[in-house]
Amino acid sequence: MSVWLQTLKEGAKARIDDARTPVAERGAQLLKDAVWPTRKTEAWKYTSLHTLSDTDFAVGKTARANAQTIEGLDSSDLLFDGVRWHLPDQFEAGVKVATFSNLSPLEQSEIAADMMPVKPGRHLFGAINDLMVQDILVIDVEADAATTRPLRVVMNAIEGAVQHGRVWVRVAKGAKVEIIEQAEGEGQGLSTLISEYLVGDHAKLCHSRFQLVGGEHHAVGGCHIKLGEFARLRSTLVGFGSQMSRLDVDVEHAASHALAEMDAIYLLQGDELFDLHSTIEHAVPNGTTDENVRGIVTDSAKAVFNGRIHIHRDAQKTLAELNNRNLLLSDSARVSTKPELEIYADDVKCAHGATVAELDEEAIYYLQSRGISERDAKVMLNFGFINELVDKMPNEALGDWLRSKLKARFESMNKVDA
Amino acid sequence: MLSIKNLQASVEDKQILKGLNLEVKAGEVHAIMGPNGAGKSTLGYVLSGREGYEVNGGEALLGETDLLDIEVEERAREGLFLAFQYPVEIPGVSNMEFMKAAVDAKREAAGEDALSSKEFLQRAKAACKQVNLPLEFLKRGVNEGFSGGEKKRNEIMQMMLLEPKLCILDETDSGLDIDALQVVAEGVNSQRSDDRAFIVVTHYQRLLDYIKPDFVHVLADGKIVKSGGPELALELEAQGYAWLDNGAEA
Repeated sequence: MSVWLQTLKEGAKARIDDARTPVAERGAQLLKDAVWPTRKTEAWKYTSLHTLSDTDFAVGKTARANAQTIEGLDSSDLLFDGVRWHLPDQFEAGVKVATFSNLSPLEQSEIAADMMPVKPGRHLFGAINDLMVQDILVIDVEADAATTRPLRVVMNAIEGAVQHGRVWVRVAKGAKVEIIEQAEGEGQGLSTLISEYLVGDHAKLCHSRFQLVGGEHHAVGGCHIKLGEFARLRSTLVGFGSQMSRLDVDVEHAASHALAEMDAIYLLQGDELFDLHSTIEHAVPNGTTDENVRGIVTDSAKAVFNGRIHIHRDAQKTLAELNNRNLLLSDSARVSTKPELEIYADDVKCAHGATVAELDEEAIYYLQSRGISERDAKVMLNFGFINELVDKMPNEALGDWLRSKLKARFESMNKVDA
Repeated sequence: MLSIKNLQASVEDKQILKGLNLEVKAGEVHAIMGPNGAGKSTLGYVLSGREGYEVNGGEALLGETDLLDIEVEERAREGLFLAFQYPVEIPGVSNMEFMKAAVDAKREAAGEDALSSKEFLQRAKAACKQVNLPLEFLKRGVNEGFSGGEKKRNEIMQMMLLEPKLCILDETDSGLDIDALQVVAEGVNSQRSDDRAFIVVTHYQRLLDYIKPDFVHVLADGKIVKSGGPELALELEAQGYAWLDNGAEA
């Protein structure tokens, strides 16, 4: 047991007695016997937490909640200041946004009953978030509401602070919504941002998660999504590395004929780390998952990808594909990748694979032969490799914004024969 | 315009070019023919500066510039253009983005301002039209999923935008049916001018029916072994390359 976790639990005790929310109680329960991960802990095999266990960041520190607007994107922005959520006064018809503490006791127990089962209990920082979170942002989308205005959740790193953000999203039957989760900034500190989605029958969720914190920040995120019958998930995850950046994604096909299309991108430099764990559960027949993960790693940065698709015995006619492709730009860059298919049904179509490669010399030469410098050629090839996934994003304004972020990143990642 | 003297080059320690001489003047079209393995493609790669093609003797001047002394991209900016036999596919990078970067790089090297997006688009559209490429090809990934003919037309489209001094067409006719060949040839012919030269590298005489050369050279075993006018191509077509083995010299 680490001193860090012990201190955290003791510090939280008074608050639990005080708050007594079911979420905090569950967190306390989950953490009771929690073991601090070491290299022997499978889920943390390649990612060390030692830089965190020595820290003493302040709890409850706030910063001004703001977010730069994204050009061409008309979004409702939901901003976290380290403790509280700041919400606009009005929302599109069919969308209800509130914080958990502002709901009536009846509403609270009703949504907790729906949302508590979404996140699996095994995630250590998910349990820490359970225990520590002060208020949960609740987004409710009414049945058959075909919303057009994206909701943007923003939680930036705060220097020297520990902060825990939590989002519950319920997309009722037949509704359609786009949600963007965005975290940027750097500086010492720890942020956990956990979001949970319950996507109803025939509902559509367009989801993006941009975990772009950097520097010495520790960021641990979770996106946990449960899909109803004929539900559609279209998700884009983007990670830049930091001292320790981790994202756990779970998608559960809880009813048949759901479709999950998930793309993930990571771009790492310096001595950054990014660790993506994804688990897709196919518990019922006729589900489809298509997961494409691509990363570029340079300098002595390290990427970890652990992707598991679990097809239960009853999940006949499942279609599942999982693909992880990596480009390494330097000799000391590292990738640990483990795509896993675990299949217990006999009538399924599944494929998985992982590749680690260097930039294609012939393609560099081709670009150079047209007058483009070696460095620009490399940036262009990096960009192309990732842009294939960005091109799939349905929201063009968001895609354009992301491309400009990625381009800036590639510029700093590609130095000619440094 | 191009002056090659005693050029020698090897690939993986195997000597391919063994003292090649060639003079090309502005406005001329030279065809280089020869059997497989003679070094035809190597010549284009060596002049453009491809890695792995080791120059171990001789010189190649483009105007006043010593080509062999500068980087691949600098050669291109100086006005050298190689149309590839096998153009590379680059998914995720649009043709448009690719060519805008290339044209901008060339203009910057020449001390000119970058073209506005609008102006570039106009030129790109015109070039596409000329080689009969639908405009949507500008938005598609570079050569991604293009047919053989479309790739070759895309090469010529790039050539039009870059306005080079010297164009080397490396087996541009390979894999083309007669209709595609005509389109490509028309594109090339439209670019012929008094201040631009072409080297057309080909195995078959067929292409030269459409792109009429001023001079024809036979490349065998790393050297130009015979030079002549357009009639030489017809002679080769009739006789094949076998007679070269009998020790014929230029």
